[in-house]
Amino acid sequence: MAWVFVRLKLRLLRNGLRLGGWQQIAGLVFAGLLALPLVPGGFALLAILPRHDPEAGATAAMAVFVGVFAGWLALPLFSATLDTSLDPAKLALLPLRPRQLAVGLFAAACVGLGPLGTLLALLGAVAGFAPAGLGALLVVAAVLLEFALCVVTARAVTTVLSRWLRSRRARDLVILVVSLSALLLNLTLQVVLRAVEPGRLSRFGGLRTTGRVLGWSPPGLAARALVAGSRGRLGAAVLELLAVAAVVALLGWWWYGSLQRLLVTVEPASAPRQQRSTEPRPVGARRPGTEREGARRAARPGLFPRPLWALLPANRLGVVAAKELRYFARHPRLRVQWLTAGLFAIALPLFFTLSSRPGPTPPGPGPGAGFGGGQHPHLVFTALIGIYVAVNQTVLNQFGADGAAYWSNIVASGDPQDDLAGKSLALALPTLTLVTAVSLLIAAITGGWAWVPLTLCLAVGLLGAALAVGMFTSVHSAFPLPGGTTNLWGGRGSGQGCAVGMTQLLAMLAAGVLCVPLGVLVGIGVAWWHPALVLAAPVAVAYGVALWRFGLFLAGDWLRGHQPDLLAALSPRRAA
Amino acid sequence: MNSAPALSLRGLRKAYGPKIAVDWLSLDVPHGCFFGLVGPNGAGKTTTLSMVTGLLRPDAGTVVVDGVEVWRDPAEAKRHIGVLPEELRLLERLSGDELLTYNGLLRGMDPATVAERSAELLAVLGLTEAASTLVVDYSHGMRKKLALASALLHNPRVLFLDEPFEAIDPVSARTIRLLLERYTGGGATVVFSSHVMTVVEQLCDRVGIMHNGRLIAEGPLDQVRAGRSLEDAFVELVGAGQSDTETLGWLGSSSGSS
Repeated sequence: MAWVFVRLKLRLLRNGLRLGGWQQIAGLVFAGLLALPLVPGGFALLAILPRHDPEAGATAAMAVFVGVFAGWLALPLFSATLDTSLDPAKLALLPLRPRQLAVGLFAAACVGLGPLGTLLALLGAVAGFAPAGLGALLVVAAVLLEFALCVVTARAVTTVLSRWLRSRRARDLVILVVSLSALLLNLTLQVVLRAVEPGRLSRFGGLRTTGRVLGWSPPGLAARALVAGSRGRLGAAVLELLAVAAVVALLGWWWYGSLQRLLVTVEPASAPRQQRSTEPRPVGARRPGTEREGARRAARPGLFPRPLWALLPANRLGVVAAKELRYFARHPRLRVQWLTAGLFAIALPLFFTLSSRPGPTPPGPGPGAGFGGGQHPHLVFTALIGIYVAVNQTVLNQFGADGAAYWSNIVASGDPQDDLAGKSLALALPTLTLVTAVSLLIAAITGGWAWVPLTLCLAVGLLGAALAVGMFTSVHSAFPLPGGTTNLWGGRGSGQGCAVGMTQLLAMLAAGVLCVPLGVLVGIGVAWWHPALVLAAPVAVAYGVALWRFGLFLAGDWLRGHQPDLLAALSPRRAA
Repeated sequence: MNSAPALSLRGLRKAYGPKIAVDWLSLDVPHGCFFGLVGPNGAGKTTTLSMVTGLLRPDAGTVVVDGVEVWRDPAEAKRHIGVLPEELRLLERLSGDELLTYNGLLRGMDPATVAERSAELLAVLGLTEAASTLVVDYSHGMRKKLALASALLHNPRVLFLDEPFEAIDPVSARTIRLLLERYTGGGATVVFSSHVMTVVEQLCDRVGIMHNGRLIAEGPLDQVRAGRSLEDAFVELVGAGQSDTETLGWLGSSSGSS
């Protein structure tokens, strides 16, 4: 039975590639090139190091085992790349016993590029650690158990979460929480690393302590069993292996239980719930009798966020902008993008500012300060990082959240250039607000108030460049954003994510090149000739607006004749 | 009143690789008509409607709606048409009333008119209670009714509906039917595709039967069915006939189950 599942999985992988077209294959090759050093690298590390330096080899084994395990645990949650080609729900109607299903799914989960690479890398340990005799068996067992641990954990965690996440609200929440916790984990790691570096604790000592703690985790136990087996401490190795096997069995049992419940529980019908409305809606009137109420507010419909009534016109441009702003707050992926962008845009400049302050002396008029009075008043410029972070996440695929629903913009007979302009407006509003807030904050810390206006002008320039490039990529390499409505961890299929990443990298480079003139002007102003800074402000605004208009013209002109092509790119592939 | 037909197709063609989805299709639909396009799955109905509404570029042929050629002057043509596509891909994260506002303002309508009409449409379609619920939480029938409301919002001259009655409960279907009858009563034209022959027989004055990308019969309902029921006429024309059931001897017998 397991063999049937493995063959099904192989067939699914092959058909997925056949449907995907050349972009997916290119992406897959690229991803393979990225991953290629990892597999032989891991293999070589585990195979060679222990033969030369047994102590370092043991540490390396621990690091690799724990690292690989952490990767398997975290990757499906954080990067939406879990392979979902074998969805247990699709097999629910087949007359399979849950045990057959679990064994089959486990076997299928072991098939694929990720599992293959992991297993190959881990097998390096057999070459590196296996002694002659019985110990060799234990070493092989340790490697296989580590592999099983990885696969079972990844499956168990995602299945259990899928069971919890039957409702749309829970899914939205989890996308948010998981992404933010990944971000926080990353930030914490950075801070800890920086704190430890100059501290009393020597780095090696710190590693050893960490290693001792990790040694008691399941993958750590597997690594310890590996080392013990290779050194002939067979009793200890057997005990540690038994402990790992027990964990694998426990996780497997947990997965098995969740799988069973997942298959026999019906997804609750999504009862239409009244949304908590914070603002009046024109047609949401409960009784038909309150139509006058609706008419009174009709001048500014409920789609428009109330604080922005003055900014958004009640036409195509305005309504697209209003819808985009609603989507930033409501679409799970966009919400995460904006929240992370906001966090980074505040944290990074703040970090630079605080870490470049010389000592505990309060900021006062320093010797070299031309503008303002702080030590490094021009640090206000770092607020511009916000543009970079906010923009490169959201600007390059502006139609992604519309997806196939873009048809409604096509059948509404208007100028598609207005769509692009509206989206630009919606992107500019939060981005410029963010930059303004951060630059004011940093000015307050450094005293560089005089730099704030220049920073805002430069922000317009950079945003113009980013939007110009973004409009181009948005119409020419659009892809639908996963909506998170059916499958939370459904990726874009193997390889496609990488192709998208390459396009985005190129686009960011292009935007960077467009910003070079402004950078040169500001550099001259800061280093040699201050009046250049005064010149830079209007130039930046004019440059940004010009770039934006040019981008809008190019993309809008193309889009006028090619709306059906954009719709095709945004629609999920059909087998027709 | 325009003397040209509401919809006129000439030599419309679309191929996906080697598969020809629509094969040199020509058709005229007069004004004020309730036209039903029927055909088995894969006959090319959805492809045809997509090309007619400007969502899919044809390989060849012309589409004229209300005297305007769709692929030469799409903006003008789209002003005259309303669309309910088969796959209800809506902006999931807007509420029902927000979606109507969005579509109305996209078309350059006056905000007050949009608010007034969407309130009425939502009331008629029984969606007033759900007006502020996000579309992602709507049921299939509610989504279909909302999509219909947004297709009618600008009072188009010609309405294209792809499978409007599929997976719809009888009450909602009746609401939609009454609304559509009222709409054509005012001289507007409806073109819709369907599998449900009884609905087509009840509603349509003209039908076209599509098979393998071609129109194999077209005309007034009574002429096409020629004394038979529409279903019989359809099956006969499409040529499904009696399939060879001799090879399925085990089917339904108690001995052959495994």
